[in-house]
Amino acid sequence: MIEVNNLHKSFLRTKKQQVKALNGLSFTAKDGEITGILGPNGAGKTTCLRTLYGLLKADSGSAVIDGIQVSQSPIEARAKLGIFPDKFGLYERLTAYEQIDYFASIHGLQGAAKHKAIEVIIQELEMEELAHRKTQGFSQGQRMKVTLAQALVHQPQNFVLDEPTRGLDVMSTRVLRNHLAKFRDKGHCILFSSHVMQEVAALCDRVIIVANGKLAAQGTPTELCELAGEALLEDAFVKLIGSDEGVAA
Amino acid sequence: MIQFKALLIKEFKEAFRDKRALMVAMTMAMLAPVMILVLSKTMIKEMVETPPVYLNITGENFAPKLMNQLRQNNIFSLADAPENLHDLWKERNIELMIPDDFVENMQEGRVITITLRADFSEKALNSPIRRVKNEINLYGQSIGAKRLIVRGIDPRILRPININDQDTSEPNSNAMFISLMLGLYVLMAAFMSGLSVAIDSSAGERERNVLEMLLCQPVSTFKIVLAKLCCASTISIIGVTLTLVLTSFSVSFVDLTKIGATFNLNVYMVLFLILLLLPISFFASALQLFVSFQAKSFKEAQSTVSMIIMLPAMIPVALMFIDDKPAWLDWLPVSGQSLLMDDLFKGLAINWAAFAGTAIVTIGITAILVTVLSLRLKSEKVVLALS
Repeated sequence: MIEVNNLHKSFLRTKKQQVKALNGLSFTAKDGEITGILGPNGAGKTTCLRTLYGLLKADSGSAVIDGIQVSQSPIEARAKLGIFPDKFGLYERLTAYEQIDYFASIHGLQGAAKHKAIEVIIQELEMEELAHRKTQGFSQGQRMKVTLAQALVHQPQNFVLDEPTRGLDVMSTRVLRNHLAKFRDKGHCILFSSHVMQEVAALCDRVIIVANGKLAAQGTPTELCELAGEALLEDAFVKLIGSDEGVAA
Repeated sequence: MIQFKALLIKEFKEAFRDKRALMVAMTMAMLAPVMILVLSKTMIKEMVETPPVYLNITGENFAPKLMNQLRQNNIFSLADAPENLHDLWKERNIELMIPDDFVENMQEGRVITITLRADFSEKALNSPIRRVKNEINLYGQSIGAKRLIVRGIDPRILRPININDQDTSEPNSNAMFISLMLGLYVLMAAFMSGLSVAIDSSAGERERNVLEMLLCQPVSTFKIVLAKLCCASTISIIGVTLTLVLTSFSVSFVDLTKIGATFNLNVYMVLFLILLLLPISFFASALQLFVSFQAKSFKEAQSTVSMIIMLPAMIPVALMFIDDKPAWLDWLPVSGQSLLMDDLFKGLAINWAAFAGTAIVTIGITAILVTVLSLRLKSEKVVLALS
């Protein structure tokens, strides 16, 4: 379970000008649910997720993962987390198997348990053929699979994805979507940021709309449509963030 | 421990699989022995051999006995020069002018003025000119001595004092030069060999978007930095060892004692030098990681780090010009090691206190760099610079 309470965070753009990236954002992502974060560019999604990873410190407010305060014990909190980052790179001189092995070891797995975990994740993602090839020259879909595998090899209770479907073809998107649904059904908590409305509508149990660093609305996709009085999630989204400003940006 | 092992294994795999970068790093080690070999060979040749010298002599006929003595010592007239050397010596143009009143003055016992004209600032002519002067002086002295003996006087009367030179500065300038080169080279090897690995594992990883992923993992930045440091400095130590082993192999082909060198690159010496440079390898890698982790791009890291390379090149050279070296120079990284190497090559006893002192200071600075860097990697500034 991921809880975010009243997060505030501002950056100095120049010496005098301050930018408020987060302005009292609060939400909860529950276990056994896929929670989607929607928001125009610059709404504070990435800042919020980075605070969740413990990379940034909030000015006030707190992020709590499975009852652990991220700001106080970031390393313990991260151990409960699987991360699919905004820009995902691979170690191109390692094979897919070695990369998954690397992240498994960082999460403290070793010996037979580690090998078992790696075998399981490789099987689940149907990447047996890729496993022992160096990742240099992998397609975007193959890269996504490796990143997914290394984020999930330790079976984290919570899984955070930052725009994972960007640049993926239909087949890869479906692989990702199916895997997320399966992972949710096992009782894990998934937090998912995206710009693709259809995807959010199809996949997410609950949607959080973020605008100007705070919560604009939340609910199931259907609830949000009803709330805005629109038939399509996209129209509802534009209405709920208050203006279509920023959508084009 | 599981984490550190995994981090370290991954760094080594990446470093050793980047074959081209590794090759470039090791070229340094391959070049050094060749350089030293060629350099010492030419120096020994210059020092020990007396190759024929060809002079442009005018008035040769006036002093046949002098000419004879010069010829016996491999100094000839330009006319006798073989074709392949003729042009060279013609260009060097050392002129020896014997006056036409040579015989007359010799018989009268007057001072004869022989003119030697050449470009005295030309380094290549130093040795020939020295030899010509020496031979003419010897010839003059022998004539003088004979004149005294004929008059019943002991020629030793002209030398009331005899100076007995006992040079305690052991190696002469040529040997000094070679040992300075070698010292510079191994210091450079320590800095150069680990360079590409240090940049690639810091600025390179940032550019490939894998650093953010790593920083999000439940592992302390201290472990990350330490693993990268261990990897880069291991490569650096391999570079130093390779340089030394290959140099000691190549130097075994030349007899360095001929140019007055009192050192010998044997196993103990090589082991001692590796031990001496061990802290430097860590220091160099830490410094490179420190700079390139904070650079905004791979390119920036590369250009900044290449400035650091100047450090091992400049410090030993600068030290040569300081006559009264302040004591603290013995303790600083690079300068301390450089001074110890100097002593070693001069054949002096090793100052173990300075050895331990400089090692401790170097390791201390390395530890500070690692600590500060791992704190900086936690800072928001670094995270925000990620994208």
